[in-house]
Amino acid sequence: MYQYSQADHQLLQERVAQFRDQVQRRLNGDLSEDEFKQQRLRNGLYLQIHAYMLRVAVPYGLMSSEQMRTLAHIARKYDRGYGHFSTRQNIQYNWPKLEDVPQILDDLAKVEMHAIQTSGNCIRNTTSDPLAGVARDEIADPRPYCELIRQWSTFHPEFNFLPRKFKIAVSGAINDRAAVAVHDIGLRLVKNDAGELGLEVYVGGGLGRTPMIGKLIRKFLPTHDMLTYLEAILRVYNQLGRRDNLYKARIKILVHETGEEKFRELVEAEWNEIKKTGLALTDADIEAIQAHFKDPDYETLSDFDEDFDAHLLANAEFAKWAEKNVELHKKDGYRVVYLSLKSRNQPAGDVTADQMDAIADLADKYSLSAIRSTHRQNLVLSDVKLKDLYELWQELKALDLATPNYNHLTDLISCPGMDYCSLATARSIPIAQALTERFDSYDYINDLGDISLNISGCINACGHHHVANIGILGVNKKGVEVYQLTLGGSARDDASIGKIIGPAFTADEIVDAVATVLDVYLDQREDEEEGFLTTYRRIGQEPFKEKLYG
Amino acid sequence: MALQVYSGSLLKEGLVAFLCLDDEGISWTTDLNKATAVEDDGLDALKEAAEKSERDNIIIAPYAVEVSRTETGLEPVENRERIRAYGPTIRLPQSAKSAPTSSGSRVAA
Repeated sequence: MYQYSQADHQLLQERVAQFRDQVQRRLNGDLSEDEFKQQRLRNGLYLQIHAYMLRVAVPYGLMSSEQMRTLAHIARKYDRGYGHFSTRQNIQYNWPKLEDVPQILDDLAKVEMHAIQTSGNCIRNTTSDPLAGVARDEIADPRPYCELIRQWSTFHPEFNFLPRKFKIAVSGAINDRAAVAVHDIGLRLVKNDAGELGLEVYVGGGLGRTPMIGKLIRKFLPTHDMLTYLEAILRVYNQLGRRDNLYKARIKILVHETGEEKFRELVEAEWNEIKKTGLALTDADIEAIQAHFKDPDYETLSDFDEDFDAHLLANAEFAKWAEKNVELHKKDGYRVVYLSLKSRNQPAGDVTADQMDAIADLADKYSLSAIRSTHRQNLVLSDVKLKDLYELWQELKALDLATPNYNHLTDLISCPGMDYCSLATARSIPIAQALTERFDSYDYINDLGDISLNISGCINACGHHHVANIGILGVNKKGVEVYQLTLGGSARDDASIGKIIGPAFTADEIVDAVATVLDVYLDQREDEEEGFLTTYRRIGQEPFKEKLYG
Repeated sequence: MALQVYSGSLLKEGLVAFLCLDDEGISWTTDLNKATAVEDDGLDALKEAAEKSERDNIIIAPYAVEVSRTETGLEPVENRERIRAYGPTIRLPQSAKSAPTSSGSRVAA
């Protein structure tokens, strides 16, 4: 993974000292809350319903075991013993005291982490494929490009006060595991007919109150031009994006109102002015970053292990987990392991300090000391030997991190909702927990197959409900929490926005409503191979409506 | 006449706090049941005290919260305010420390 230079370290140290001074001035009363708010938001510090919330950046979801131990230490020493992994692959702490935050940032800086640009109208943490560098379907490793974007965007003076927040995702695989279509900018590494590596550039995707799928504005951008092209897009947005209306300020609205073709022309015109500048990447620039992401010294192993197969036959529980939460690795004899943060016992994405420490130990023992977070709020050990899977599973099981549900119904995304978030209009975690309890049957979720269920506690859609096969949106209707169902969304290659099925359900009704939707699917699917989305797209909303509303 | 308390977030800790205005002067507590609750005509005094605490950098963004008096004590009328007063309504992770509102600590203003 990327190792900080001396300049990187100095930059963070200076930033911590600056924020320490700002906090002290706020506590002394030398800064008003209005003055301080802009400073704390630039350092990932929100004020939520119950307390401050600190969002720590996990660049493209990649952490070392040492970093994970520091995250555990922060949870234990400064918070209430747990953290929450978000859909931007970051981690959030829900209870830090303001006076402790400078020290937290100091602790983070020691392990090359920070909370810069995890809030505010700037370029946020770039997200990526959690299988980057190890996926069998990978065209090129996206992490060097993510890191180049991170370095370019950090403290970029021109883009520090954009009309609105700005999110970029990069994928380097045939299958999209980074939800690139619903980002302000989505980049996909591709090869052209000549075999050269380049990028597809999607702009104007996003969720929130006006969900949109990104538009492909360039089919092939040489990788050397990545930063100049991003700069051109951001310049057009910075100049023309709406600042008069918070709800129309995202780039998706600009692209929509300008028109895809006209927007492309504006970007290309801007790009022609700047593409030969020093921001153009050289081979040496790219290679210098790629050097940080070289393959480790993988052992030459067989992709067959007698003991592993014996355990599969002897232990049904292990076999279920191995089928659901283990994925092929690009190297024979290795596997990718998903650590499910979706058990019955804690909110989706939450991890205790003890679990974090244990995960760090497992990463050291089994997976080359690295951990990844996913945009679906799980963790990944990316380089586990096939022969170690049984032992690892036993340890994960003891930690309640082995629920066999990856990409299945109970692997649901849930935003913090009104239990924590000051923007939320309804609670989402209790609904998520009720759904997890109701559908806590391996056989049932296995029968349903690959399916996504996401929950948001307000229209800002942090729970990505728009792009779930089954989405739930909590809203407040005359003081009562009610839940709208949307069907047919997808965040993958066939990205689509789900449609509202009808009137909302109460908190007491919504779990039964989801069960009804699932019954219709099981009844209507042509065979067990036909997934929920395929069935829905074939039969439309009517059969679901009929069962839900009579 | 609506019964109301004043609430805001403590600057240092960020925790939800409620205003006490009594013989001892102005203070803030994380325990709703220790808050000073008034009918509409007493609200101006609470507002004035809360704004002073805001100027003194004790509290952030104070505002009036409607409550009712029940057998067990004060109860916010709005669901969101109930969650603010009593903490998350969910099972917290198993090793999580206890909710802050149980302490009911009083902060001098």
